[in-house]
Amino acid sequence: MSSADKNLSVQRYPFRAMGSECEVVLAVKNQAQAYALAQKAIAEVLRIEKKYSRYTSDSMVAKINQHAGLGPVACDDETWALLHYAEQLHEQTQGLFDITSGVLRHAWDFKSAVVPAAEKLDALRNKMGWYKVVLQNQSIALPDVGMEIDLGGFGKEYAADRAAQVLQAQGVSSGYVNLAGDMRFLGAKPSGEPWMIGIQDPRRQDQVVATLPMIQGGLATSGDYERFFEIDDKRYCHVLNPLTGWPVQYWRSVSVAAPAAVVAGCTSTIAMLKEKEGLAFLQATGFDFLAIDSSNQVHMR
Amino acid sequence: MAVIKHNSKLPELGAALLGAAMTLPCIMLSAQAETAPEKGTLSFKYLNYKERQQVTSNAGSSGAWTDSQSSASAYDDRVHVKATATSVLLPLNGEWSLSGTLVTDSISGASPAYHTQSLSKLQDFRRAVDTSLTRYLPNGKLALGLSHSGENDYISRAVSLLATQASDDKNTTWTAGVAIQRDVINPVNQIVASEKKRGSDWLLGVTQVVSMNDIVQLNLGHYSGRGYFSDPYKIYDERPTDREHQTFQARWNHHVAALNGTSRLAYRFYTDTWGIRSHTIDAEWVQRLGSEWRVAPQLRLYSQNAARFYVEVDPRIAPFPTSPPPNALHFSEDQRLSAFGAVTMGLKVTRQLSVDTAVDFKVEQYGQKAAWKFNGLGSQGLAPFYARSIQVGITHSF
Repeated sequence: MSSADKNLSVQRYPFRAMGSECEVVLAVKNQAQAYALAQKAIAEVLRIEKKYSRYTSDSMVAKINQHAGLGPVACDDETWALLHYAEQLHEQTQGLFDITSGVLRHAWDFKSAVVPAAEKLDALRNKMGWYKVVLQNQSIALPDVGMEIDLGGFGKEYAADRAAQVLQAQGVSSGYVNLAGDMRFLGAKPSGEPWMIGIQDPRRQDQVVATLPMIQGGLATSGDYERFFEIDDKRYCHVLNPLTGWPVQYWRSVSVAAPAAVVAGCTSTIAMLKEKEGLAFLQATGFDFLAIDSSNQVHMR
Repeated sequence: MAVIKHNSKLPELGAALLGAAMTLPCIMLSAQAETAPEKGTLSFKYLNYKERQQVTSNAGSSGAWTDSQSSASAYDDRVHVKATATSVLLPLNGEWSLSGTLVTDSISGASPAYHTQSLSKLQDFRRAVDTSLTRYLPNGKLALGLSHSGENDYISRAVSLLATQASDDKNTTWTAGVAIQRDVINPVNQIVASEKKRGSDWLLGVTQVVSMNDIVQLNLGHYSGRGYFSDPYKIYDERPTDREHQTFQARWNHHVAALNGTSRLAYRFYTDTWGIRSHTIDAEWVQRLGSEWRVAPQLRLYSQNAARFYVEVDPRIAPFPTSPPPNALHFSEDQRLSAFGAVTMGLKVTRQLSVDTAVDFKVEQYGQKAAWKFNGLGSQGLAPFYARSIQVGITHSF
């Protein structure tokens, strides 16, 4: 249990990373010290972004993708662990969570708002499938040219956990790391109260549907409202089912609180992908969640 | 059963997802929320309560004491209460939760003025507000409660503190509590004005998990009060200005796995300085039918002897009220202080609509008769008294 200490003041350090608004919030006695601590946490986030971004040509992910069809790429320990994590999620979800499904974005262009032709999707689906990937001797080989991996499915959450880890190692016991809504908490407010976190209304951007008190652990939200287009009242969102190549339909938003942000993030994503069966899945995890379905019904635990 | 700590074990799926993340470098995992409620609950109950009693044969003609009750019907509905109560328990964070109950009930009916007759119709409005603040500790909790309830003639304020402490293995839980009340009574008939009553309740209890299927509980209670205990709406009612009582209660819940049901047995002994001793035996069987239905028949037997200053009905002068003995310091003709036995039969049916929502329906029939006293004859000349209540409720956890 956290002990309240009223001598601490809460400092907020906003920054931009991974294409979005982020923030480190912490409470320590000395403001100069707070700044130095926040910089270390932010540096960790930026390190992970640089290492695993698929937008830069010198990242680890770019290196693996550039070698697709050419042979194995040796991995450092951190990358190897992340790939193993992806493998376990793929196994546990019978292929629904697949970090090779990023190629589908070549078909789904959310700016031009066009539903892709079936042939185009089929062609891309030939370049997908984690089961084809060879992981051995701490190296990864993507067998086909054009295959890609993308750690976007949990990279942000992993970064939030790691940044929080940096702060915790420095003795911070009050605060949190927020990477565009994926969060990891380090202990209650100096007053002993929890951080009250609003969950965004998936249809009204300036409103919250619920408030969740958080002290420890991670919180992540997946939704159909980040990138999408609509044709004839049908919403095509950016969460794509790797088995069909099509956007998921059932959930507007799924928020999960779990012991780590990376676990919360994957759980919410898997629930989105499972569509109607996502509710039973969420209940079976034992984690707290708030999910809003397409008829705006709220499901909670 | 409270023996299993929440979150002490995640379901397999959650554990597997966590296990996968454990392979990630330096992902320290936070312990899940401690023992504070993870879910809030919101419940809504509707109570419909009706009591009736056979009016003594001459009631209709005894205009001096009764309020023109109809003598045509054998039974009169005396008090009819419809009340709604909502209560909310919100998980505020890992350590605190705030619960509140707003009870609004209206009473329209008559309370018996002496023995079984009625003096006046009552019309009042009750609004009670209870709040309690609970602090969760590693192996227990501390709850502070405040309540205030006001009718137009009776204001009651109370503060309570309840502490529970469990052993490390969670198999033994000790409970200690104290509550202090202060009441102010201003009856509309102005027989007395601004009378006060103060009292304190003490509770000591221990709950022991004996086996997988058995849990027993022993409670000791002590009450001590001073002030105005009389009922201003009753004639010939002059009670002592102090009262103390002791209660001893033993409960045993036994789960029968083969039948998927639980028996709940309880015995309670009560004794007070007014000379009342009572015994209560409760038996309940909770039967689960499938995963959704629960049916619980209930039987309660009650018996008490009369208070030392209870004035027995003198049949010779009925229908007029019996006069207290000359020079008596204390006297009362309140039926609740007479010697009687009572039987309550109830049935509660609960249907779980979803993981989080349950509706319940409860019907209870209460009967009170002198002849039902466990031993002895009981107070004579009193009409049996019956009440039935129906409660429907919905509880939602979120």
